[in-house]
Amino acid sequence: MSRRVALVAAAALPCGKWQTPADAALQVLEHEVLASLVADAVAEAGIDRRDIGSLAFAQCRPYTLQKYFATFMAHYLRLPCTGTVSETLGNGMTAGLAFERAVDDILLGRAKVALALGVNFETATSAAEHMMSSMRATGDVDFQVPFGFTPIAWYAMDAARYMHEYGVSREAIASVAVKNRRHASLNPLAQFRKLITMEDVLAQPMIVEPLGLFEVPPRSDGAVCLVLAEEEVARATGRPYALIRGRGFYHEGAHQISEVPNDMTALAAAQRSGQAAYAAAGVGPSDIDFAEVYAPCTIVEVLVSEALGLMPRGRGAHGAAESETSLGGRIPICTSGGLQSRGHPAYVTPFYTFVEVLEQLQGRAGERQVRDARLALTSAELGNYNAALVHVLEAVR
Amino acid sequence: MTIEVLSRPGRRPYPPRVTATTAPFWEGLLEGRFQTTRCDDCGRFSFPPKVICPHCWSRRILWHELSGNGRLYSSTTIHAAPASFRQEAPYRVAIVDLEEGVRLATRLLGGGPATLDSPVRLVALSYDDGPLFAARPDGGCIASVGLAPRPG
Ligand SMILES: [Zn+2]
Repeated sequence: MSRRVALVAAAALPCGKWQTPADAALQVLEHEVLASLVADAVAEAGIDRRDIGSLAFAQCRPYTLQKYFATFMAHYLRLPCTGTVSETLGNGMTAGLAFERAVDDILLGRAKVALALGVNFETATSAAEHMMSSMRATGDVDFQVPFGFTPIAWYAMDAARYMHEYGVSREAIASVAVKNRRHASLNPLAQFRKLITMEDVLAQPMIVEPLGLFEVPPRSDGAVCLVLAEEEVARATGRPYALIRGRGFYHEGAHQISEVPNDMTALAAAQRSGQAAYAAAGVGPSDIDFAEVYAPCTIVEVLVSEALGLMPRGRGAHGAAESETSLGGRIPICTSGGLQSRGHPAYVTPFYTFVEVLEQLQGRAGERQVRDARLALTSAELGNYNAALVHVLEAVR
Repeated sequence: MTIEVLSRPGRRPYPPRVTATTAPFWEGLLEGRFQTTRCDDCGRFSFPPKVICPHCWSRRILWHELSGNGRLYSSTTIHAAPASFRQEAPYRVAIVDLEEGVRLATRLLGGGPATLDSPVRLVALSYDDGPLFAARPDGGCIASVGLAPRPG
């Protein structure tokens, strides 16, 4: 029988502002934060550190001064590895791909235990300056960037098109922000935990129409260490774990948009990767107990809930407004608080997805526990969901 | 000349880089031509202009002039802008589907409502340091976008 991989433990820094300005006398540095999380996560896993064969890092932001961060960390942790030590970069999907790097080393027999880990520090760099870099990451530098597109401008155009085609109000879409804040209020790792109302959301300054400040992601620092293991190793710990049941990936061969007109709000990559992950797991959307999706803006959560088959097409915003995706609803989505409220340290955001899924599947999510949570669905993406990576995980207790 | 050329004072906030492949596109704009590459094997368009056909990977590429007429697929107004564009904010950007079946992203001029699926026309913009292009509602008068026709 082929190997199976389990997510056994996690440790994470609460999302927020951690990075210190360059001139601060006392610095908060990435490697110290992450080393401490590694020790916490491995202790929680109850595994032998000598079984760790691979370190799969999400690449740091360019603002991190320590370069060759992965090998520096292998040194800091004094952790010889027989699998691989690597740093992965894949836009918003960065941590999703690093997660896969760890999983693959276990599947290939190169490691019994692998760590997927990383740190994203960026908040000491101003938004206007940061956008000078991020605008070149989401568009054609010569044929789109000169017009002033920003990463979330594409999502805003999804919203405009969706509202136009399905007759959906801005309020229905904005309800996602209120719901996610309610979830975040119950999550100690969340950056914003104070409850908000629809009036609060609509009163915020416009960022990119029709999305205001509470409907787009904040800028966040964060750090996570995940411990993955062969299922045999996980079982031997005697602790509950999350088994990876299915995986799907699809890149549509387009960067933001291509010259060939398509239905932009259908998120074809999420549809295709979702179908592949369901098929691999032998389950369907109705079997899923909760979903933790990568959705930088409210509208993206709406669209991906439809693309993954959790909501009928054109009904995602209404479903959210009617509490179907709230804790206690038919299919809770983003019980962590999502990217708007839990926070969005972009290069490690998909790691936080797995942190939430593990807590839920282990039954340790406290007040935000999804009752009888057994099957979870996750997504990571890049661009305007031009690519998507979907996983199905199952609780084993 | 099929698209209007409007003169704009000052320099482009973030000028595109020009290559031997894309130079005819940018030069054509200043003469009122909006052209892109078309594959001589499979007949499909590519935009931006490319060295090979992305659809069939043929190298037999020819220039083809487009009408500049299209429809507004989507649009947004950007309020929080990168440093280079701060002075222009808020500004509108759009996705336009040209009648030849080519989708592109650009600036949207004019201050009126941006009704999706309504007709738009491309215009060339001649800055002091070179060309750009934009879309504006079809039939929109020049005064409403605050631009003067290019002298001469
Ligand atoms: Zn071709």
